[in-house]
Amino acid sequence: MTVRREQYFTYLLLGVFSLIALVPIVGIIFTALQQQGSLSSFGQPDGLHFGNFADAWREGNFADYLRSSAIVVVAVVAFSTVFSIMAGYAFGMMRFRGSSVLFYVLLLGLMVPLEAFIVPLYYDLRDLNLTDTYWALIWPQVGVSTAFGTFWMRAFFSSVPRSLVEAARLDGSSSWHTLWRVVLPLGRPAVLTMVVLIFMWTWNEFLLALVMVSDEGLRTAPLGLAFFQGRNTTDFALLAAGAVIVATPVVLVYVFLQRHFIRGMLTGAVKG
Amino acid sequence: MAGVSFEAVTKRYGDVEAVRELSLEIADREFVVLVGPSGSGKTTALRMLAGLEAISEGVVRIGEREVNRVSPRDRDIAMVFQDYALYPQMTVRDNLAFGLRRRKTPKADIESRVDRAAEALELGALLDRRPRELSGGQQQRVALGRALVRDPQVFLMDEPLSNLDAKLRVQTRGEIKRLQKEVGTTTVYVTHDQVEAMTMGDRIAVMNDGRLEQAGTPEELYERPANRFVAGFIGSPGMSFAEVSAEDGGLRGRGFRMPAPPTPGAAGGGELVLGIRPEHVRPWRDDAGLAGPIEGTVAYVEALGRETFLGVDVEGGDRFIVCVEGRAGEQPGDRFRFGVATEGVRLFEREGGAAVRQAEPAR
Repeated sequence: MTVRREQYFTYLLLGVFSLIALVPIVGIIFTALQQQGSLSSFGQPDGLHFGNFADAWREGNFADYLRSSAIVVVAVVAFSTVFSIMAGYAFGMMRFRGSSVLFYVLLLGLMVPLEAFIVPLYYDLRDLNLTDTYWALIWPQVGVSTAFGTFWMRAFFSSVPRSLVEAARLDGSSSWHTLWRVVLPLGRPAVLTMVVLIFMWTWNEFLLALVMVSDEGLRTAPLGLAFFQGRNTTDFALLAAGAVIVATPVVLVYVFLQRHFIRGMLTGAVKG
Repeated sequence: MAGVSFEAVTKRYGDVEAVRELSLEIADREFVVLVGPSGSGKTTALRMLAGLEAISEGVVRIGEREVNRVSPRDRDIAMVFQDYALYPQMTVRDNLAFGLRRRKTPKADIESRVDRAAEALELGALLDRRPRELSGGQQQRVALGRALVRDPQVFLMDEPLSNLDAKLRVQTRGEIKRLQKEVGTTTVYVTHDQVEAMTMGDRIAVMNDGRLEQAGTPEELYERPANRFVAGFIGSPGMSFAEVSAEDGGLRGRGFRMPAPPTPGAAGGGELVLGIRPEHVRPWRDDAGLAGPIEGTVAYVEALGRETFLGVDVEGGDRFIVCVEGRAGEQPGDRFRFGVATEGVRLFEREGGAAVRQAEPAR
């Protein structure tokens, strides 16, 4: 009886938490489907207005914003994944002098918020003529993401049996070959999880884009959304439709990779 | 093929000396077992030979070549790891071929070598499986096969049987020994199991606390241990020890007295430790030519079927292990009389434990 009661309680608790997470999302979707100009999120629906998405897309110029976001995200994810894998392998697998000091220096990148250094960063990039280019959005985020990614991949590499790497060395494999052909194939969940996380953070990055670019054509989706909201302060349905458009890619990536994502999150937590 | 030599090799981790001045010659085609308790430095010695640990002092040679600064892949060695270290994402075939491919061996050659190894180890039906689809014993054979196909100068094996169950271990023990004789590759084998060492090695090197205690054939180690550590480590059940004093051509222990072994110099006086193996300690019979009788209380009974070992505590606290053929009727707590075959007596210095004399092997 107690077991059953516990079960009910667990479901109840999880149900409440799910509700807390879901209500705003459902609210936004609901609003996005309402007639333009109406005011309430959950109030009297008078049909589903899918046309809102097309209107928002056109009026908000989301095609350009999403393209910019895609360019930045793909570049950041690609560079930081490769760098993180290589640095994580070095920290997790190789013994070299000063490795722990270097690792702590790297962790600074995780600890210091972007807000703390965005102003000097702006001046530096302006001196290099990089402001108002995609590079101003890509490089800083590669830096920040690589700090996290190295931390993440190091944890994975540390969990790989050392004997596997030693066997490969004795078999004549170079460090480079051992990393890409022997060890990394085992780390797919860890890598994919990292990709999802970096994708999410890069996609949602707002402040950097706000400071570094003023050209309309370079604006990323979250920035575009903010400007779109500034122009449409009254039409909640269009605003909500814009928000859904901007959020969809992240949701899709997550849904697509969620199986690996969950497994990656558990890597090291449970003995395989 | 090539021999291996350690010349005063030392390995330090900070202030800790894991291996101290190890000197050992291993002949071409020889099967040498490094044995010792955990922390004795045997695995470290093997890893230095493999190039997986840097050498702090001394020289390691494979053949004539000094390999201290040669990378592992250029040493022409193959190693079988305790956890097998098979590449999980590759099939058995790819695991076997991996090392050959890295060395740019011609394709046809790789195929024939893989097939030959698979045949020798009965892996033919498993070639397209992945390691996780194999049993422990099969994985172990793949690990052996991976070393075998490489046809290296030296095989290194780091406790390769410790993850197998007892029956499979005995079976694989024979298999490894047979394969080694067949291919004739110099082999260095690390284990903490002295039975494994005794049954497999042409020669055994016993290590303790980073030092080489003795190297010799299994028979030498068993019959003429160089010191008390080797005497106690080799043999199962182990040698019984008792503190004795040499006097008047005899040995006096705390609860017994016996004539000294008939070798000059044995009883030159002083404080000694007597060591005797269970097979030389037998139930007392007047006509058996044993020294004794010594009387004590049975502390435990270990019946193995063909023979029974009794632990007997004598007055003064020393315990002798007595070997009784077949089943013994004694129970713990019973009084028991036994005698000692003096040809099996070994004597050691009380300080340091070095053997006092090397008795002729008992027949």
